[in-house]
Amino acid sequence: MGRPAVSTVVEIENLRVWLGRREILKGISCRLGVAGAGKAIGLLGPNGAGKSTLIQTMLGFHAPGAGRARVLGFDCHTQPREVKARIGYMPENDSFIGNMTAVAFIRLMGELSGLPKAAALEKAHEVLFHVGLGEARYREVGTYSLGMKQMAKLAQAIVHGPELVILDEPTNGLDPSARRRMLDLIKEMKSQHGMSVLLCSHLLRDVEEVCDEVLILKDGLIVHQSDLEAERKANRRFVQLEVSGDDRGLSEALRTVGAEGMREAPGQWRIVLPVEVEIGALWRIAASQGLVVRRMTHGRDTLEEIFLKAVGHLRPAPPIVPQEVPVHGRI
Amino acid sequence: MAVYKRGYQRYAGDRTGYLQRLLVLPRFAWRRLLDQKLVTSLLMLSLFWPLLCILFIYLANHSELWAGFAGGFKRILSVNGKFFAVFMNVQSVFALILSAVVGPGLVAPDLANNALPLYFSRPLSLRDYIAARMLVLAGMLSLVTIIPGLLLMAIQGGMAGWGWLWDNGRLFWGVVIGFAIWIVILSLVAMTCSAYVKWRAVAGGLVLAFFFVVGGAAEMVNAVFRVDWASMFNPGFAIEAVWMEFLGVELPPEKPGAYECALSLGAMCTGLLWILTRKLRPVEVVK
Repeated sequence: MGRPAVSTVVEIENLRVWLGRREILKGISCRLGVAGAGKAIGLLGPNGAGKSTLIQTMLGFHAPGAGRARVLGFDCHTQPREVKARIGYMPENDSFIGNMTAVAFIRLMGELSGLPKAAALEKAHEVLFHVGLGEARYREVGTYSLGMKQMAKLAQAIVHGPELVILDEPTNGLDPSARRRMLDLIKEMKSQHGMSVLLCSHLLRDVEEVCDEVLILKDGLIVHQSDLEAERKANRRFVQLEVSGDDRGLSEALRTVGAEGMREAPGQWRIVLPVEVEIGALWRIAASQGLVVRRMTHGRDTLEEIFLKAVGHLRPAPPIVPQEVPVHGRI
Repeated sequence: MAVYKRGYQRYAGDRTGYLQRLLVLPRFAWRRLLDQKLVTSLLMLSLFWPLLCILFIYLANHSELWAGFAGGFKRILSVNGKFFAVFMNVQSVFALILSAVVGPGLVAPDLANNALPLYFSRPLSLRDYIAARMLVLAGMLSLVTIIPGLLLMAIQGGMAGWGWLWDNGRLFWGVVIGFAIWIVILSLVAMTCSAYVKWRAVAGGLVLAFFFVVGGAAEMVNAVFRVDWASMFNPGFAIEAVWMEFLGVELPPEKPGAYECALSLGAMCTGLLWILTRKLRPVEVVK
């Protein structure tokens, strides 16, 4: 079958998936990644958000109730063979074949993906050395430690050189050095080998470190989609400001220097500063408004903040209620 | 360059075709099975009866060796439908034991180690997986059923003249198709038991128990209700009835006929396949 011209890695249109009588994915639509660009997409969401169901639908394990999902230009439901031939999947749970050495296991997986016998054996050795299991490659996978099993799962996912690698919680249960190794391997997969990566993880720091795009799901709906690369390039600074005094005019005063402020609670502000505005400007604005600065922290917006906002754990600012407060007007 | 120095490179060569991929699982499984002493011992043991049958064919075709015996001896020593019916009955027992030993090791470890997502995330469907696993059993069981049967045919044809084969084409198809049906039944029973019981020994026992319990229940219905039709639900009787029809051997008239038995076996296979497809899922959905 001829390959359709593709630009996106994952294309989802009004996808609805039911498991039994429960609707897990409620009509989501998005376009993720650029085919062949070697980018990583982070899939985030609280438990039960539908992340695993989305991955499993892309793998053809669940049939969509409505809408469609396309991976690398092929429909996941009607062209599952074409899709599966181009992807590698590392499941979250322990998955291996009992009583089989790592070499035999990876070779079997390679052959099932369509590698000829000799190539599969060669790639099995190659990929096991690549993930750091070279010395243990003749041991049975069942005797491996948890960290080694994770690496073996990664090896079977990339043995056939897929275009898209789907990693479900790849750093689960890894010690810090193994986690670092896993993240380095993922970065290498996209930067050196041009593979697209779809990373599903609860560890926001991992996603932030590795991914270029992020999709956040909640209750079967997309609540946020952003380009982390663009966010990083924007290099905006975020300031958390805690003041006492009448802060009703602060929002307006911030706008005069090109900054944006959001009142999260009485006296608590979250401010976005443009690149050209110095932190000192905030001190001057506070002084002009007669406010006492109690606390000021500044830094880049973290993925954790994006995530918490998206899933509703950071509430939007309550409306400002006029109140009688003494004005001290000093810093 | 040594593999450990070369580093990982994405595979960019040609991919194998569908059939070659389908045969990967049987190839790996056969290699592992033939490494097991129990399996090879059973295979050797199951070839003992065909050896005796070869001796029988030799004697049947060399009347000068038993010329001094009574005339009834000649009637016994003839290679016909009854001869192949006895041969198939004995070999079917070996096939049953072999499927109880081999079958549970095919599906149960995949379920116990959660390997199904790994298979089904590759270009391999559930249908392909079942077909590949059935091929493993079909290959092993053919070694003790169809292949010895064809060997006997060839020896008889060689000794009695190839015209014998032409005149007894019914026996040829009887052996091939009859054994093929038995292999399909055994494979489905073994895989279904293996999908439900993860302990190999227990699953093996369950395969044997299936035939005895279902057969016993069918005969119990016959005895309690004083009927004969329930025999068609006894897999042992039903397959024998089908074989007899193929081989042209008469069945007891009061028992269910070959067509009823074939229908019953077909329904049993459909049921087993349905159970198997429900059990073999890449992910378990809790409803």
